[in-house]
Amino acid sequence: MTDDLAEARDRELVQRIRRGDGEAFRGLFGRYSPSAMSLARRVVRQPFLAEEIVQEAFLAVWRSPGGYDPQRGSVRSWLMGMVHHRAVDAVRREESQRRRSEESQLSDPVIQPDPADDVVDELGLPEERRAVRAALEGLPDEQRQVIELMYFDGLSQSKISDKLGLPLGTVKSRTLLGMKRLRSAIGGLPR
Amino acid sequence: MIRDHTRIEELIAIRSIGGLDPQEQAELEREMASHGPDCEECRRLETEYGEVAGRLAFALDPVALRPGFAEETLGLALGERSPASRQGPGGGRWRPLVAVAAALVLFVGGAVLGAAVFGGGNEVPPQATVLALEPQDPSLLGTVTAAFTPGEPGIYLQGSGLEPLPSDQVYELWVIEGDTPAAAVCVAPSEDGSVFGFADKEVTGSEVLAVTVEPSTCSDAPTTPPRWAGQVTSA
Repeated sequence: MTDDLAEARDRELVQRIRRGDGEAFRGLFGRYSPSAMSLARRVVRQPFLAEEIVQEAFLAVWRSPGGYDPQRGSVRSWLMGMVHHRAVDAVRREESQRRRSEESQLSDPVIQPDPADDVVDELGLPEERRAVRAALEGLPDEQRQVIELMYFDGLSQSKISDKLGLPLGTVKSRTLLGMKRLRSAIGGLPR
Repeated sequence: MIRDHTRIEELIAIRSIGGLDPQEQAELEREMASHGPDCEECRRLETEYGEVAGRLAFALDPVALRPGFAEETLGLALGERSPASRQGPGGGRWRPLVAVAAALVLFVGGAVLGAAVFGGGNEVPPQATVLALEPQDPSLLGTVTAAFTPGEPGIYLQGSGLEPLPSDQVYELWVIEGDTPAAAVCVAPSEDGSVFGFADKEVTGSEVLAVTVEPSTCSDAPTTPPRWAGQVTSA
């Protein structure tokens, strides 16, 4: 199924959630909760905290589905954005970045084969994963590194500067260049 | 005049993936404020980098959920109407409503009535019980009814001839047990003043159903007095 059709399906689910349709909520949860949990676990590295974050994010969808504005992007980006913001906030609150950063050096790499795609995903998500991974792989190493530390490890640019021993300006410029490339590769909004 | 967005783009890109330090967050807010809320380029940059950031999540493998987690979350949402989470500050005012609400009980064996009230197009089960909700102000326009099968999940809300609402408001149905109103469904009236909504919620037989006007984001607890209400009683 194409990206646009998958997005149309997601938008229809959100519309139905706005009308209080529990089945639609169940559908959205079933479709995105495994990815949301993966993201939350990666950022906070604590399974119970990750569950709390994912649950909060989905309950926020149920309570305030009007928060989704189709003019501001796809449903999946909106949803994952809520999960990511909560996860990063949790990381900053706990001030455990140093320990987690050390752990992250031993952690799984971001880009992996995905044997679960065929089982877990439907409606274009395997294609989405391939596209996003290809876009990340297409970045120069130094740009991908700062983006991964920022997004997947929840580090601020100043923390990354300290961690890598780079001038803050270099971290900024690498991030911006990488994000511009990603925007060109995957930033198109579904219709 | 074409404004320079170089700095704003840098800050938005970094913020979208969570990397902005607090002082630069404040700088971004100042910069964007200086462009004003209608700056299309600012909005475009926020949207496009937000889209990229959200989609980065899909670089990760999905993970299996802990057994029971899905049921817990769905249960919290779909049955989310526990007194602790849904009791609004004005919850106590709902008890007098029970007495006011005129107990229009059109109960049990509502098949014929249900079909008559809801018509054939809205998929209300023919065996559903139909409760006409009483206007709480005689000047209110229109009629509002709710249909449900006692003891089974599902409430249908239907209204006709209702006054139009501003785009930022909706009608919201509440199921009130004791003093505690639990949100059921939000609906915006169509141009002809009709509404139809469904909530995956159970009516057991001793609640009051009420409809209020709420913000379009829907409310967790009523923020306005009920416009229509009716008490459910067991046959």
